[in-house]
Amino acid sequence: MATQIEVPERLTFPSNCETVSADMRIPEPSLDAALLRRLYSYMLKCRTVEERIRNQFRQGRFSGNYFAAVGQEATEVGVTIDLLPEDTIAPSHRNFITHIMKGTPLNLLFAQIYGRNTSPDRGRSSPAHCGYAALNIITPASTIAAQLNIGTGIALAYKMKRVPNVVVALSGEGSTSLGLWHEAINFAAVHKLPMLVVIENNGWAESVPVALQTAVADISTKALGYGIPGATVDGNDVVAVYRAAQEGILRAREGKGPTLLECKTYRWYGHSEIDPAKYRDPAEVHEWKRRDPIPRMEAYLDQRKLWTDEWKQELLAGFEKEIEEAIAFAEASAFPEAEEALDHVFSFSIRDRELHRKTWEPVLDQRR
Amino acid sequence: MAVMTYIDAINSALREEMARDDHVFIIGEDVGKMGGAFKATKGLQEEFGVERVIDSPLAEGVIISSSIGAAMEGMRPVAEIQFADFITPAMDAITQQAAKLRYRSAGTQTCPLTVRVCYGGGVSGGLYHSQTNTSWFIHTPGLIVVAPSTPHDAKGLLKSAIRDDNPVMFFEHKKLYRSVKEEVPEGDYTLPLLKASIARPGKEVTAVSYGYTLQLTLQAAEKIKQQFGAEVEVIDLRTLAPLDKDTVLESVARTSRAVIIHEDNRTLGVGAEIAALIAEEAFDCLDAPIIRVTAPDIPAIPFAPPLEEFYMPSTEKIVTALEQVLRY
Repeated sequence: MATQIEVPERLTFPSNCETVSADMRIPEPSLDAALLRRLYSYMLKCRTVEERIRNQFRQGRFSGNYFAAVGQEATEVGVTIDLLPEDTIAPSHRNFITHIMKGTPLNLLFAQIYGRNTSPDRGRSSPAHCGYAALNIITPASTIAAQLNIGTGIALAYKMKRVPNVVVALSGEGSTSLGLWHEAINFAAVHKLPMLVVIENNGWAESVPVALQTAVADISTKALGYGIPGATVDGNDVVAVYRAAQEGILRAREGKGPTLLECKTYRWYGHSEIDPAKYRDPAEVHEWKRRDPIPRMEAYLDQRKLWTDEWKQELLAGFEKEIEEAIAFAEASAFPEAEEALDHVFSFSIRDRELHRKTWEPVLDQRR
Repeated sequence: MAVMTYIDAINSALREEMARDDHVFIIGEDVGKMGGAFKATKGLQEEFGVERVIDSPLAEGVIISSSIGAAMEGMRPVAEIQFADFITPAMDAITQQAAKLRYRSAGTQTCPLTVRVCYGGGVSGGLYHSQTNTSWFIHTPGLIVVAPSTPHDAKGLLKSAIRDDNPVMFFEHKKLYRSVKEEVPEGDYTLPLLKASIARPGKEVTAVSYGYTLQLTLQAAEKIKQQFGAEVEVIDLRTLAPLDKDTVLESVARTSRAVIIHEDNRTLGVGAEIAALIAEEAFDCLDAPIIRVTAPDIPAIPFAPPLEEFYMPSTEKIVTALEQVLRY
């Protein structure tokens, strides 16, 4: 039903875009070989980093929690690859790996999950809630749809300053149930803001399935209600995601306004590392693991003679080395000093006010 | 010097700041063509265009969150919340985003926005057009909360708020908009954001207030002088968070008595905080119990005139409290 809904300006995807779907057809023109290989290697890197982080958490090397996007790499890589440094990523808690795409050094990312004083947030924000001002990645709050909302203002400022930058906002399908999500999309639509709004529909908002979240089959059809284009793509098909995202990003850069892109994917693990996700049918998990975006891309590249196992092993060795160095950097970094808890509340310091309280004595000569 | 109403002072501050810095823009409901429900932004869209005076959708959440993002990107947004009662849809943006962004990013990402909020009762506004909810924001570290009581202060503090690098909640009492006139310097002037003022010097009792009740407190001080010959020192907090503790405590050290007056509910209002500060840091200075004159702990201001009158602090209620403290 959903696909029959006409949106005001229908995008061309996914019907005639290149995909890595089952039939393995090779449409023309194909994406550049180097780009295809980069899409793959980034997915592999994101997977390797996150599995290592999960391992570190289980070993008690850092405290708190972690929110892995394992299984969703095609979506996160496909929508954020090749953004300009000036472009903004408005991430949620499950988008830690978009830092890898934007170029945040791995050292800083591990320092962040370790809560060390070398982290961009100096141990303030909780693990995976990482921002990086130098590359315009908003430090995320845990509240849902939050960065999408702030992102509207960044996009508004881009428009006011007449710069061609874009905002890519990511959130899960659960966020689309929230009033704030609608306020943001509506505002972006009214003002034709340069945004790509990505919904990573991974089927589960913590323990609640998408069927209890929304009555529509495709979340992208909600775009109709705001007068903007929307599209749903296979979120485990990195080429399809990339094509769709590029079209939305181009529209944004050209001043044509926001696009809503739903990527249907799957969260392999629990909501977080302390959630065993026993509420899911193991058969469902198994089925989605079969659709793992990384082997799918391997097969796709292999068919084009763009992939070998040696190359993969070479990539993995490089990632492992970089991760080892980043872990060493994080573990060698100190925790922040306790009293730093008082810093960065305002642009001015409150240390003196909080730490040195005065005692007032009566001024007796003025008493009546 | 020009004689100005409070609303003129606000309008003049906005116009001057927009002319001074083209990063300053206004966003809110009805702020454009209509010039705002109270005409605070009158004429500004005509003068500065639709891009800099934005009639927003009817959605307080995105009024504030879009302002936060624009501020992160170097703009100086001035958002208007038409009635303090309708700020609740923006609470996530204000308390979770604006107040915490600098903190959670260790100072690397900041949002210097000003949120103008029209608040306060005494105008038959009823339950949802009269609230004083300043305490919600005082209780949220990371926000500067300003509530001027005079046209002079309103202009100087609004200009400072717009230029300040922190998120500022700027509370304007609607009953002050056209009821108070005074001389306001022409041209550019600013006032320090974190400084209370002594609105009337005195030596026998300290009366602390802000906003509309500050005007009532000044009237009460005059009555006390006429009836008892006693000099009330009236302190205008001007900024409610972070509080200028020193000005209040220094005064209490001289007068030995304190009355706190506000229109917000009693429990956990700014009066509770000031009373606690006096108890903690100036206990030996006191010669009498501290008294608060506040709104009662009821959900909002009821509509019918006797009910609203019961709710609101009044000159008479303040005089009674001052008298009680002076007689102790």
